[in-house]
Amino acid sequence: MSTHTLALCRQAPYGSALAREGLEAVLAAAAMDQAPDVLFLGDGVFQLTADQAPQEIGQKSLYRNLQALPMFGVERIYVCRQSLADRGISTESIAVPGIEVELVTDPGALLARYQHVLSF
Amino acid sequence: MKFSLVVYSAPHAGEAAASALRFARAVVDQGHELYRVFFYADGVHHGSALAAPPQDEQDLLTPWQELRQANDVDLVVCIAAAQRRGVLSHSEAERLERPAANLADGFELGGLGQLADATAQSDRVVTFGGQ
Repeated sequence: MSTHTLALCRQAPYGSALAREGLEAVLAAAAMDQAPDVLFLGDGVFQLTADQAPQEIGQKSLYRNLQALPMFGVERIYVCRQSLADRGISTESIAVPGIEVELVTDPGALLARYQHVLSF
Repeated sequence: MKFSLVVYSAPHAGEAAASALRFARAVVDQGHELYRVFFYADGVHHGSALAAPPQDEQDLLTPWQELRQANDVDLVVCIAAAQRRGVLSHSEAERLERPAANLADGFELGGLGQLADATAQSDRVVTFGGQ
């Protein structure tokens, strides 16, 4: 049986520590050659928006962690199309350098493909 | 079946922490293997030996330690998340020049690699808290 894992990123970048700690877990697993696939869902899609200015609220940029993903072998991310539409985020505005974005219309079907889902 | 649990909630912050404990007991009671419990995000507060809830409230520390003793369950507190939140072993307190250590007996500090390993080794990974 496959043990392939999907990491689910559901938190807006600076509202919950779990957004950062989720990405850290993804990077750590990737560093061990166990890179999970990653799906951004719900408020998690806010992590992908460019022009974040977290220094204004004394936070470190989470976008930088995203930019590190390709270095650890994560070169494609799944993004929920409906989550973007619900929040008025255009698909053009969520580019992360070096990462291919694959829009997903049926997140449930995607989740069903994985043995494990780590939800952050 | 081999289970691992991931706990994101601090004890006493909501139902998720108590649910994790009850689920862990149920896993063991039904003859399954509990490979690892990984405490992450606010869940790292489970590893604090200093929590002192009122006597008529649920104790969410001793039961985990008993589970560890009776069933050799691996209780891993994420070291990076724990440092942020002030859950330190003696060696970490010394290394980081902090005035005290509070990691409870039975818990160990470990890296995120142990979460990846638990995911790879277990048939089921169940997450508690986080929303």
